[in-house]
Amino acid sequence: MQALALAILLFPAAGAVFLGVFNWRGSRLLTAFVGPGVVWAAFVCVLILLAGGVNQDFTYWTWIRSGSFSVPFDILIDHLSLFMCLVITGVGGLIVTYAVGYMEHETDGSYARFFCYMDVFVLSMLILVLAGNTIFLIVGWAGVGLSSYLLIGFYYWRRSAVVAARKAFVMNVIGDVGMILGAFVLFVSYKQVVYGPLFGALPKSDGGAVELAAFLLLVGGIAKSAQLPLHTWLPDAMEGPTPVSALIHAATMVTAGVYLVARFHVLYDAATYAHAAVAVIGAVTALFAASIALVQTDIKRVLAYSTMSQIGYMFLAVGIGAYSAGLFHLLSHAFFKALLFMAAGNVIHALHDDQDMRHYGGLWNDMRRSSVTFLVGSLSLAGIIPFVGFFSKENVLGEAFSRGDALGYSVWLIGFLTAVLTGFYTGRMWWISFWRPAAPERPVAGHLHEAPAVMLIPVAILAVLTTIGGALQVKAVGGWALVDDFLRPVLGEEHITAVALEYVATLLTLVLAALAFAAAYNFWIRGSWNVDAWRARLAGAARVLEHKYYFDELYDRAFVRPLDRLARLADREDRSVIDTGVVDVGTYTERSASSLSLTQTGFLRSYVLVFVAGAVIAAGLVLWRAQG
Amino acid sequence: MLLDAGTIQVGSEQLEVSWFLLLAAALFVLGAIGVLIRRNPLVMLICIELMLNAVNLTLVAFARQLNNREGQLFALMTMTVAAAEAVVGLAILVDIFRVRDLEDVDDLSELKG
Repeated sequence: MQALALAILLFPAAGAVFLGVFNWRGSRLLTAFVGPGVVWAAFVCVLILLAGGVNQDFTYWTWIRSGSFSVPFDILIDHLSLFMCLVITGVGGLIVTYAVGYMEHETDGSYARFFCYMDVFVLSMLILVLAGNTIFLIVGWAGVGLSSYLLIGFYYWRRSAVVAARKAFVMNVIGDVGMILGAFVLFVSYKQVVYGPLFGALPKSDGGAVELAAFLLLVGGIAKSAQLPLHTWLPDAMEGPTPVSALIHAATMVTAGVYLVARFHVLYDAATYAHAAVAVIGAVTALFAASIALVQTDIKRVLAYSTMSQIGYMFLAVGIGAYSAGLFHLLSHAFFKALLFMAAGNVIHALHDDQDMRHYGGLWNDMRRSSVTFLVGSLSLAGIIPFVGFFSKENVLGEAFSRGDALGYSVWLIGFLTAVLTGFYTGRMWWISFWRPAAPERPVAGHLHEAPAVMLIPVAILAVLTTIGGALQVKAVGGWALVDDFLRPVLGEEHITAVALEYVATLLTLVLAALAFAAAYNFWIRGSWNVDAWRARLAGAARVLEHKYYFDELYDRAFVRPLDRLARLADREDRSVIDTGVVDVGTYTERSASSLSLTQTGFLRSYVLVFVAGAVIAAGLVLWRAQG
Repeated sequence: MLLDAGTIQVGSEQLEVSWFLLLAAALFVLGAIGVLIRRNPLVMLICIELMLNAVNLTLVAFARQLNNREGQLFALMTMTVAAAEAVVGLAILVDIFRVRDLEDVDDLSELKG
């Protein structure tokens, strides 16, 4: 079992090394097998560990030893890390398999490079969730940032991709700094890095060190999970190929913040203010992102903002202490968001990489299979019964509602509004892209090629999971909660009995979200409500939303441009002061050398004369000394 | 006598070392002056040989006086090196003669500063 736990990490690592080192010129078929194969192998390892009921912290060797400070290399297998591993390797495996078809137009070198990066991504994320101590956690944390940088900048010949990759990296490094400082505060205060003893040493009551550590870790969490105010990298990350978007948004990366709060739940339970901050940031981000998604025209950007919004729900849940509700939404979101991205990827693939929804239309008739799966994902995202999104979202909102305090009611209200907005923008995306008759601008006017089986089957599997996944957790009267029960050994939560009012709230949310979804039909298909008139009426709000609340502009003014000016100034000073100094040294050396070289006359006999004169003087000196 | 540097037994005679040293010095100065004033590269090489042999003479003389073999060995060593030097020097000269008609070493001053 100990070897098996390590094998979860070794499979993707071996795959990445193989593809990176040995397979640049190797066969395409081999790449297509190894790339997804190692992720599936890791998935099998996780299943065996799960079946074996393993629940243990495996320590392999001492990793760092310096005086009394020592860090073991340990892998923590418990229900939380296994849960995360199932999502990462299961959904991740489907996505990497899908990429075999999606990336088929790449050259052989790029093809191998892509799967190498994907395996590194999965590996980093697995390290992040399996790490048994804070130091190892930071390794995974930074590895995820690195691999996202590599994948977002995959088309490195496109300037926009490089800029987006750099932006993601910088934002993530801000978070990494927070993480490292947080781990440092925990170590300085409690002298522990391994989770078990560390959580044991944490005080149960609030305190300065606890709050500080919780806030610093939260900085790492919000950067990785694209929450306010470190969210601006996520929409730009759409520059990467679509399977990358699916992997970042569904199985890995953005869920890291949610995992972090759940893993450190002992810390957050103690730190009252930091814990409330998690909920507030999550709720505000959920509403914020959903409102921006209303006006986006790029289909992947709509999905990106919906991811931010759904991660906001998860933050909201873990912020109010409903950890397993947050993790259930994480699971459900992994299903339907991977599904949405991959179904959208089929469409983008068929329409020659056009991502503008206004150029779509007519897809219901031309790409029926992709359309049906996209509809399943959309309804789940909108929180319509019976799809998994309904159950997980209601789980989150229900927990918030039944908390019964000011924080609970306020985040519920925000979550409720977000759910309505989600119904609306999801409906807009669906009706415009798929249901509407084909737009005149559509790149491919006639018959569209439906995606090949290797791309359709993963989407179909996810569509099935999205449809039946809600059965995991039906918290009505006489219901059950398999996810809660599974995670209880780690999180130690009690069931909160639903209050009667909660059913009313749930029903209200469902009905309004469904109405919003339907309202979008009236706007964009039937035209009974005039979109342009409404837009003109709300011109001010629309402009703010189209500029994404001016966050990019603000960061540009506040950070990018001043730094740019500083860099230019430094460049000028470098040229005028340092460069000139260095050049002067060279000039003077050269000048003195050329005057010295005049002594080299080229006349052999003059050299001999100098030599003989020198010898005579030296001999004279010796004799003179001998006499004296 | 002149320098009061002791004597050497040659057969039944006692010879002053100073004579040998004076002869060597005279040869060496002749060689040095030759290198300095002659411009023909072949003659300059011969003059260098002269200087080397002057040194050999002092080495051998002292070795004999002090009854020490090392000086003699050193003289043999010098001869070997001198032979090698002559080979290299002559080879270079022959090569130069091939590419140009050389009368004067002062013509070989392309590498001046």
